[in-house]
Amino acid sequence: MTADPYATAAGLVTRSAAAYVSGVPRSPADDGFFGPTSVTWRVSTDPATPIAGLRSLLMQALHPLAMAGVDQHSDWRTDPVGRLAATSAYVTTISFGERAAATRAAAHVRRIHEHVRGVDAVTGRPYAAGDPALLLWVHAALVDSAIAAGRLFGTPLSPADSDRFVAEMVVAAELVGVPRPQVPASLAELERYISSVRPELRCTPAARESMSYLLDPPGLDEDVAEIWQDVRRGAIGALPAWAREIYGYGAPGPLTPGQRTEIRQALGVLDAVFLGEPGVLEARQRIALRMRAARRA
Amino acid sequence: MRRGRPAGTAAWNPRRVAIAGIAAGAAGAIAAVVAARRRIGRLRFDRGWAALQLAVRGGARYAGSAPRLFAAAGEHRQRLRHDLALQTAEDVATTLGAMKGVLMKIGQMASYVDDGLSPGVRRTLSRLQDSVPPMSADLAAGVVEEELGLPPERVFAHWDPEPIAAASIGQVHRAITLDGRAVAVKVQYPGIAETIAADLDNVALLRRMLRVAAPSQDVGALIAELRDRVLEELDYRREARNQRLLAAYYDGHPTIHVPKIVGALSTRRVVTSELADGARFAELAGWSQAERDLAAETIYRFVFRSLYEVRAFNGDPHPGNYLFHGGGRVTFLDFGLVKHFTPAELQPLMQMARHLCVRQDPEAFRRSLEQAGFLRPGAPLSTATIVEHLAVFYDTIREPGPRTITGEYASAVVRRFFDVRSPVAGYVSIPRSYVILQRINLGLFALLGELTATADWRAIAEEIWPFVRGPASTPMGEAEATWRASRPAAAQSLA
Repeated sequence: MTADPYATAAGLVTRSAAAYVSGVPRSPADDGFFGPTSVTWRVSTDPATPIAGLRSLLMQALHPLAMAGVDQHSDWRTDPVGRLAATSAYVTTISFGERAAATRAAAHVRRIHEHVRGVDAVTGRPYAAGDPALLLWVHAALVDSAIAAGRLFGTPLSPADSDRFVAEMVVAAELVGVPRPQVPASLAELERYISSVRPELRCTPAARESMSYLLDPPGLDEDVAEIWQDVRRGAIGALPAWAREIYGYGAPGPLTPGQRTEIRQALGVLDAVFLGEPGVLEARQRIALRMRAARRA
Repeated sequence: MRRGRPAGTAAWNPRRVAIAGIAAGAAGAIAAVVAARRRIGRLRFDRGWAALQLAVRGGARYAGSAPRLFAAAGEHRQRLRHDLALQTAEDVATTLGAMKGVLMKIGQMASYVDDGLSPGVRRTLSRLQDSVPPMSADLAAGVVEEELGLPPERVFAHWDPEPIAAASIGQVHRAITLDGRAVAVKVQYPGIAETIAADLDNVALLRRMLRVAAPSQDVGALIAELRDRVLEELDYRREARNQRLLAAYYDGHPTIHVPKIVGALSTRRVVTSELADGARFAELAGWSQAERDLAAETIYRFVFRSLYEVRAFNGDPHPGNYLFHGGGRVTFLDFGLVKHFTPAELQPLMQMARHLCVRQDPEAFRRSLEQAGFLRPGAPLSTATIVEHLAVFYDTIREPGPRTITGEYASAVVRRFFDVRSPVAGYVSIPRSYVILQRINLGLFALLGELTATADWRAIAEEIWPFVRGPASTPMGEAEATWRASRPAAAQSLA
């Protein structure tokens, strides 16, 4: 295990905002892989998105091989904010970008993954980032987290819309190289898949270390640090009980309505701060206009 | 809008941002205040400068009345926002729930003290305001119908479905009543009162934020005051009452005009008043200094006459709430945030002014500060120190003679007031009923500073002070005296 110190998380909001703005096209040639009537667009514009993002990182890190790949290969320690911003730019481009842009971004990720190989120190197992099994876990954690975060802190999806969302997202997994038949296409399939992976999950030292960093990132602007406490509480609260146990976070019990309100308020304030970053409001409006036009049509 | 001073001179002082904690408590304010408190803030400082420069380049959109007027936001933007119009009450809840409505309200309260907000906070609040689209014509019409019983085109002889201005939690439409009067109809966003009230019932987050932002303040009192004021403002009937009170008091006044309320067309979520037109605050930049001085004199008279005669203080001296007609004539708009004082609350304020300025008795001034709860009794400070630091608000009226209120002076007042390192800081607090007063005081200085207004403020104050009742000191004062003399005795003071 390397012990490089982590860089600070200063500028997290500004750089995430820039990443987001870069992912939302100005005059797109097509509606991309999802489009303005998709459940995916609705989920991606939900205020609970920051919690969905943190929860999915917490879930993803529990896979020792996925974690090892990040730990041993990425610039995560030296430039954590850049790393997170790159991820959010990627997710935004896949969700809202034109097909060509999304395909390009996915191809770029696949190329990077070719070089990410090694042996996990904890389990002794070899890994490759291009391994569909790992990619599928990362994908499933993201989809599951968006649903869970929306249910607790945003606009909950109906069962039918949850199914539609999972089905829509299949293409995202396919884009990074998971064969379509392997990707869960309904909520039930997603849940079955996650249960099937559970025996492999554990909290390796690398996972513990990087998640401790994420839950309490040093150097965050003070306003954001205050709000981040709520995002963290929300993300941990939205984890499945078994995942909290693996991390040893204990069982805090279900969040009270008051706590949930507080977290929702914090998301609102965070969103207000985000809106203050250049271009964010305009990007939001571009998306909202397309969704509205599609609804009218 | 042209600013009264170059961007670099006075605009960013880390200490000054403490006011954001007092009045705003928005997330950005916290960062600014924390950075200021630690007096590091290099990064924040740089960011602040960059944002400030941007704001200046972009015409300081938040300053002045621009953000409240859709028309001021440019053609393209107007179309964009219209396309995005809120269609349903759910849209309103989504857009303004989760503290956003609360932040907007609080931000609005803080916004007039331009220098009190760090550029970062100002940017955040301004964007938040920008992010709220108008109601669709149908949604607004629906509110009118729910409130007045009939759709707007039947309640009014003519109804303009395009809003002419954004109000903070609603929008303003033009209409002509069945009896032919041109009116402005303010329509509240449906569900907004419930949304904001729900957020204010859950103040754990707000309390934490304010504790970080303004550690020296009594956070509980601050929240209680904010909550009362915001909830009050959500009921337009109160606004109508306030406006009716002031319109009645100033009826026939030579320069002060308060539009009359149309009571039959005013309810909890709709308020109808005479339509007024005039120049916006931003346009005053192009007027002669003589005109600006007259406008400032009217605003000054309005603020202190309302305080001493009506015992009412308009808590929203936002530049967007004035229309200017030349010759010092000013129309005052928006009475959603009026604080009423009891005689007992007003008494200490008069005593303070009287002891310091008229009797020039510092010890008595100190005692009245203590009695009002501003200063802890027995503070180990010399009276001279106390006067030096707390008399700052009275600087323009301690001595007779013309004084010019500059932007620098206004900033200095704010800076001095919020100087946490001042020797008196540990012994001073603002009792709950005066929180709003101090904010408005600062807001008034900011406005007058923006106008670089010159007058013999002391002489004007003496005209108004009930304990002096001095002679008319200006032509406007003479016209005002004539107006007062012509009124029935009962109407001379509602206090």
